[in-house]
Amino acid sequence: MSGGLFSDYEVGGFFDEVFGPDGVVRDHYAPLLERLGDFTVEDLASRERQRDASFRNQGITFTVYGEDEGIERTFPMDLMPRIIDAEEWSVVEAGLEQRVRVLNLFLDDLYVGDRLAVRDGIVPWWVLSSSDGFRREAFGIPVPLGARCLVAGIDLVRGDDGRYVVLEDNVRSPSGISYVVENRVAMTRLLPQLFADIPVRPVGYYGRSLRNALTRVAPPTAGDDPTIVVLTPGVYNSAYFEHVFLAAHMGVELVEGRDLVVDEHIVFMRTTKGLKRVDVIYRRIDDVFLDPVVFRPDSTLGVPGLLAAARSGTVTIANSIGNGVADDKAVYAYVPELTRFYLGEDPILDNVPTYLLWDPEQREHVLAHLDQLVIKPVAEAGGYGITIGPSATDEELAGCREAILADPRGWIAQEVVSLSRHPTLVGEDVEGRHIDLRPFVLTSDGVEVIPGGLTRVAMRKGSLVVNSSQGGGSKDTWVLAGPHSGGDLDRPSGIEGEDIETGRGVS
Amino acid sequence: MLARDAENLFWTGRYLERAEDTARLLDVTYHGVLESPVGEMDMVWRAALDVAGLLDVYEESGRPLTAAAVSAFLVHDLDNPGSIAAAVERARENVRTVRESVSTECWEAVNSFCLRLRARDLVSDVRRQPHDVYGFVRQNCQAFAGVASETLPRDDAYRFLRLGWNLERAEWTCRLLRVRQVHLQAPGFHEWVGTLRAASGLEAYRRHAGGSMDPVAIVQFLLLSDSFPRSVFFAVRAAEDALRELSGGTNEGRPLRLLGRLRAELEFAEPLEILQSDFEGEMLRIEAAIRAVSAAVSVEFFINLHHLDLHTVRLVAAEASGVDPTRSPSPSQAPSPAPSPTKSPATDPSTGEDAP
Repeated sequence: MSGGLFSDYEVGGFFDEVFGPDGVVRDHYAPLLERLGDFTVEDLASRERQRDASFRNQGITFTVYGEDEGIERTFPMDLMPRIIDAEEWSVVEAGLEQRVRVLNLFLDDLYVGDRLAVRDGIVPWWVLSSSDGFRREAFGIPVPLGARCLVAGIDLVRGDDGRYVVLEDNVRSPSGISYVVENRVAMTRLLPQLFADIPVRPVGYYGRSLRNALTRVAPPTAGDDPTIVVLTPGVYNSAYFEHVFLAAHMGVELVEGRDLVVDEHIVFMRTTKGLKRVDVIYRRIDDVFLDPVVFRPDSTLGVPGLLAAARSGTVTIANSIGNGVADDKAVYAYVPELTRFYLGEDPILDNVPTYLLWDPEQREHVLAHLDQLVIKPVAEAGGYGITIGPSATDEELAGCREAILADPRGWIAQEVVSLSRHPTLVGEDVEGRHIDLRPFVLTSDGVEVIPGGLTRVAMRKGSLVVNSSQGGGSKDTWVLAGPHSGGDLDRPSGIEGEDIETGRGVS
Repeated sequence: MLARDAENLFWTGRYLERAEDTARLLDVTYHGVLESPVGEMDMVWRAALDVAGLLDVYEESGRPLTAAAVSAFLVHDLDNPGSIAAAVERARENVRTVRESVSTECWEAVNSFCLRLRARDLVSDVRRQPHDVYGFVRQNCQAFAGVASETLPRDDAYRFLRLGWNLERAEWTCRLLRVRQVHLQAPGFHEWVGTLRAASGLEAYRRHAGGSMDPVAIVQFLLLSDSFPRSVFFAVRAAEDALRELSGGTNEGRPLRLLGRLRAELEFAEPLEILQSDFEGEMLRIEAAIRAVSAAVSVEFFINLHHLDLHTVRLVAAEASGVDPTRSPSPSQAPSPAPSPTKSPATDPSTGEDAP
């Protein structure tokens, strides 16, 4: 096999991405393991040092909010990539496409449609109107092509049986795509040998795809070459690196709220040569900070009059305002039903079994089995506020019970998904660590799924929490090209340079 | 380009020029003192602060005029916005906010410079191996200049960077010449060598004027040379070129008119005349003219008076009335108080980002 690196490796009773239950390497990992066999622990340690220095010098960082000042950290990338074979991916891809279609239909129906899902009793109105992410102010704001989730990040996990299930939907401002691209660039530089003869699908064209999608949702007034900007809260934001990355990869301006001004319902940016009209805003600012006239009056991150401009159709804001209602973990529970309702199809990707706690029966069951379930606040992202029953103390469980009884709409309970594991370099050893996957999906006149996504790793032993803010790491994620996925489809013309970026042909 | 990005690049140029100039000045001062009479120590360090434009601030702080105290103030005192460490931090912060408009190499150059400077024990290094510290700063500033010159397209981003760079340099060389001429009593061979070295011009001057240290030739060289890149005239002309390109090749705009007048005056000046008249007054007038250009640039390109709107007016009013306008300050702005990279909130609710 691959010699020393994996000699002490234990699958440990979990679904392991690399080794089958019998301890035999899964087929699609065999070439990688063979190549890894050429490396000693020292070789890999030296690559890790290069990786850290390079990420620091490039400033590929996120900010951790501490006591009083943010600290810039690098997002540690494990040197062993995660591989998804073509057949497996084709199912995931179809499932993601279906799910994002449903979320777009649902949100468009809610904000500018007849609210069919409510009318037909699929989702109770009070569940939607009581959601933190619900925005009455967004009623009647048109979105070209109904592309409300222009960028979606759907978190997937694999349980004991290896099936992919949806853990949560992120359709406000999902972040992480910059790490997907930068991880790939880093891997091709640090370990080019690993790529030889493995047909890894490229990811570096994301900026072009995003720009195309944003161009297609421009207002009709904008013409063929709309002015697109990325709106950031500023340099102190945790995802600032990604905002820069997106602007640079699309070749557009990165603006802050103070760079924009609205006059007569038209949005302009302040340039050294005066005001310039803006047609599409890819914003990475939360709804309530967007426009002090409509939302928080104390926000200076936003632009006064922006919502009125969007309402009058002179500018498109992506992702759309009010998408947070679909991120709500209680609304998530309705997505399978919504799929049947809007598409007449069964969901390809299942949800994790979820309990709604305002229902007395479900609540009783949950309260009786708190120590076997995962309890999550409905409105949080980033892994905050989660209680994992089996590993919680009695005190934590008691607190949980109290919180649920005080606000049943504020929480959901889910069955524990044990999360698949992947061999990961830990010091001088290779050990199994739990992982998930956040693929990125673009919507404009069609739905485009970027191959792979961000594989997050819970670096702490035994931990199920993969979020970067909670000490998570990442892996380069390789989707293998299959008979139906290779060729031009994945390599849009005009990006010949991509081959250099992905290191293909280097061996 | 975005007015805010332009402003940040303009100040990036100023900060890095300032860091480099300060390093060279301290190097010359420190090593010059080693060969000076003991009694002159105060005067030499006072002159260094004067060249840096920070004498008043320093005297108010009541610190002693010693090599250790002045060096600490000018090298690693982060409360002094004119110190090398503070200038490099701000340059990094500024480039970080305009990263999408500059090359990756530019960002990496200033980022890794700043990170390596942070990693050094400057307190000890300034005492034990000052020449090494100053060389390190100079080389990294020059590396950034080289990377900028070799990777940036000649667009407005590059022009604003160059404009800031050259205005800072012009003013600095002016102060260097004035202070070293007027305040070092009867500058002799030794002092003039130091002055030229502080402007990186010793070898060039020797080739230009031979070995003798002639005040008229030195003023001609540092103030009026049209071939030496650190002379006042050369820097003013480079700034003027950048401004003219920014104005689309025309002579329109107040900053360009001010700068053009100054350039013409320097271009046809007579060194002997300047030396024999009120030299200090003349130099102060030129320095003031350069500062006026900088202020005019700010009004013309960054503040954009034509586009003031209600939102801005309200914010200005809020700031004036002492109400916190809650926006993070722009990381630009030179010697005025630090941009105190605003403490980030304990959590950041502003994006609703689903952090990866």
